[in-house]
Amino acid sequence: MNLTLLALLCLALTLGCYYGSKALYRRKQRVWFAPILLAPLAILVTVVILKIPLASYFQYTHWLAALLAPATIAFAVPIYRERQLIKQYPITLSVGVIVGLLLGLATSWLLMQLTTMPTELSNSLMVRSVSTPFAIEATGAFGGIPELTAMLVLLTGIMGMLICEPLFKVAKIRSAVAKGVALGASAHGAGAAKASEIGRQEGVIASLTMIFTGIAMVLMAPLFASVIG
Amino acid sequence: MPLSFSAIQSKLCKLFLLLAQVSFFCLFAYSCQQLASWLHSPLPGSVIGLAILLLLLCGKVIPEKAVNSGAAWLIGDLLLFFIPPVVAVLKYEDILEQYGVTLISSMLAASCLVLLGTAFTVDRLFNFERKLKLQKQRKHAQLLRAPVKIAPTHTASGVSL
Repeated sequence: MNLTLLALLCLALTLGCYYGSKALYRRKQRVWFAPILLAPLAILVTVVILKIPLASYFQYTHWLAALLAPATIAFAVPIYRERQLIKQYPITLSVGVIVGLLLGLATSWLLMQLTTMPTELSNSLMVRSVSTPFAIEATGAFGGIPELTAMLVLLTGIMGMLICEPLFKVAKIRSAVAKGVALGASAHGAGAAKASEIGRQEGVIASLTMIFTGIAMVLMAPLFASVIG
Repeated sequence: MPLSFSAIQSKLCKLFLLLAQVSFFCLFAYSCQQLASWLHSPLPGSVIGLAILLLLLCGKVIPEKAVNSGAAWLIGDLLLFFIPPVVAVLKYEDILEQYGVTLISSMLAASCLVLLGTAFTVDRLFNFERKLKLQKQRKHAQLLRAPVKIAPTHTASGVSL
């Protein structure tokens, strides 16, 4: 087959799977239809089964990944819009961000000590709890690999989405702020999406926490890396 | 469903606006990355760009309306942009095959810890900060010798802000 055509088909496949699963999820609210789970899985399976060379897959789809940088900048808009909320609870939000960030790093470090994973994998694990655009910027400081990081971030998001409700029930966490901050700090975008399903307030708080945790991770990564290293 | 001419027109208008705003974000991101590499900045261009845009919004140089729909699309469809890097993981197939089970089970345990730890801390802290606020309001009210007026903080679904 013509290589350009194949590359174009890959772009179409990516867009189709993503928007398809998004529409499906909107209609039937089932976890396994969630775009974060179904879309990457469907694309991965197709690429593996049809033995599509990765170079062809990336010829056009890498432009999608290039949109991560503008998306990072776009986070300025929700921060601006919710500035009243930030002013209202500065201590809770900032301590939540710090605790979430430190816990994320500490647990990754523990995993690194307790298991025998190859270093490129365990290094990529360090930034797993922050949003992808920030994680990809920060992972270099720890010696992580962007592709592995992207996958680990995705996995962390899916896990957070799946375990949050039973955990909140068992631990008797009821306040909207606690749920929002915990989801945003531990499961980034997927957590924020889940939080908006629980309630509007939870969603806004989760998105803010996710953004601030991401920024803090990028700012502090060189420092943390030198402490751990 | 037949679409009227004006409906199509307004849809096209919205699409054009979205495209213009997304292109603005892309251009802005590109110039910030250039700026960062020119300054040898330790901060990535995208975070510098975020700070600049936030300042411009706060200073009312750029109205929120002008970037709203572009930002909403970029953030709403963030997942789409990182599917390609996830597919790239196929390059590391053998590592993942070997360590997949360890990885997933240990990450699950770690996620539980982060989620619970953060939720617990924030839950306690939020009650503390609310009490602090109420005390401040009371003091203020006493100074003014006015009746204390506190907005209701409880709703049926739990604690609200």
